[in-house]
Amino acid sequence: MIDAAFRSFQAAGPMEQFEILPIVELTFGGLDISFTNSALWMTIGVGLIVAFFYAATRRRTLIPGRTQSIAEILHEFVANLVRDTIGHDGKKFFPYVFTLFIFILVANYVGLLPSIPGAPHELHTFTTTSHIIVTFALAMVTITIVLIYGFAKNGLKFLKLFAPSGLPIWLMPILVPIEIISFLSRPISLGVRLFANMLAGHIILKLFAGFVIALLGAGGFASVLAIAPFLGSVAIFLLEFLVAALQAYVFAILTCIYLSDAAHAAEH
Amino acid sequence: MNDGAKQDPPSLDEFSKRLDAARGAGNEKENSRRTGSVALGRAMRVGSELLAALIVGALLGWGLDTAFHSRPWFLLVGILFGFAAGVMNVNRAFKESSDETQKDQASAGGN
Repeated sequence: MIDAAFRSFQAAGPMEQFEILPIVELTFGGLDISFTNSALWMTIGVGLIVAFFYAATRRRTLIPGRTQSIAEILHEFVANLVRDTIGHDGKKFFPYVFTLFIFILVANYVGLLPSIPGAPHELHTFTTTSHIIVTFALAMVTITIVLIYGFAKNGLKFLKLFAPSGLPIWLMPILVPIEIISFLSRPISLGVRLFANMLAGHIILKLFAGFVIALLGAGGFASVLAIAPFLGSVAIFLLEFLVAALQAYVFAILTCIYLSDAAHAAEH
Repeated sequence: MNDGAKQDPPSLDEFSKRLDAARGAGNEKENSRRTGSVALGRAMRVGSELLAALIVGALLGWGLDTAFHSRPWFLLVGILFGFAAGVMNVNRAFKESSDETQKDQASAGGN
């Protein structure tokens, strides 16, 4: 039985965990809209969030219990973040930033759960945020909100973001393209950072775990050496545990900073 | 909310004062821990900000080249502008973070 386990572990390469596999095949007008493992783990994440906040707000007491306390701390944390970065205009963006933060946080953490041994490949743990299309979609939502809100609030003065007042005219042809590139780089850096961190972390975890299995399988003295990659993978897991929260926080705070730029563009 | 009101607590003001006092005790440690991880978050931004601007600049240049059949001139200019934009992004990220640190310190002092 252990041999079989070894074989099944070794069979999986470090990239296999990112494979998108359909669970329920669906097509819509020639488009493949299958319910995949990615969709499954997003659903699980959202389900956990809804269940947690339902449990936390079901019995609202003045002196909060444990779950209510956690929900209140999360709320306060994001509320402070939004207030400190955007200012008093920020209140209307709180629901968006909070949703974004919690979704990314839970998606990152759910991806760190161990797979159920023996489960079919489609049901293995899957980190949705390790796919660039997911993180880039989230980044584009943020930038779309920034653009719409920026133009709605400031009108054409929003374009002052690219040409701050007091800029000498001869500097314009150099600085305006730079500012435009800088603005266009925002969704890319936002999306790529989260994606790259999750991808790299999970590959390294898998590689270290693979070394442990390979060394144990070799037998003899090599098995003793397996302790080194084992300790390494524990350390990497702890790091990933930190990175999961950190990346959610970075995504949220950058969203706030960009929204604050949009809110105050005319003042530049 | 309602449950608490029914029990008729002595005074909400007094309770919130006691709560603040209890929170204040652990404040110092909590603040330093928060700044630690927040700083790490900021540090992680810098590299990708630089790279993303460079990629956007190069892609824009490449796109213009394809449109005007002028390879490689716009690409070269795009990379230059992209690098400049990246440096500006990093500069901005540092400025924002130093502003925030000052704000954090001010609010920590105020408590």
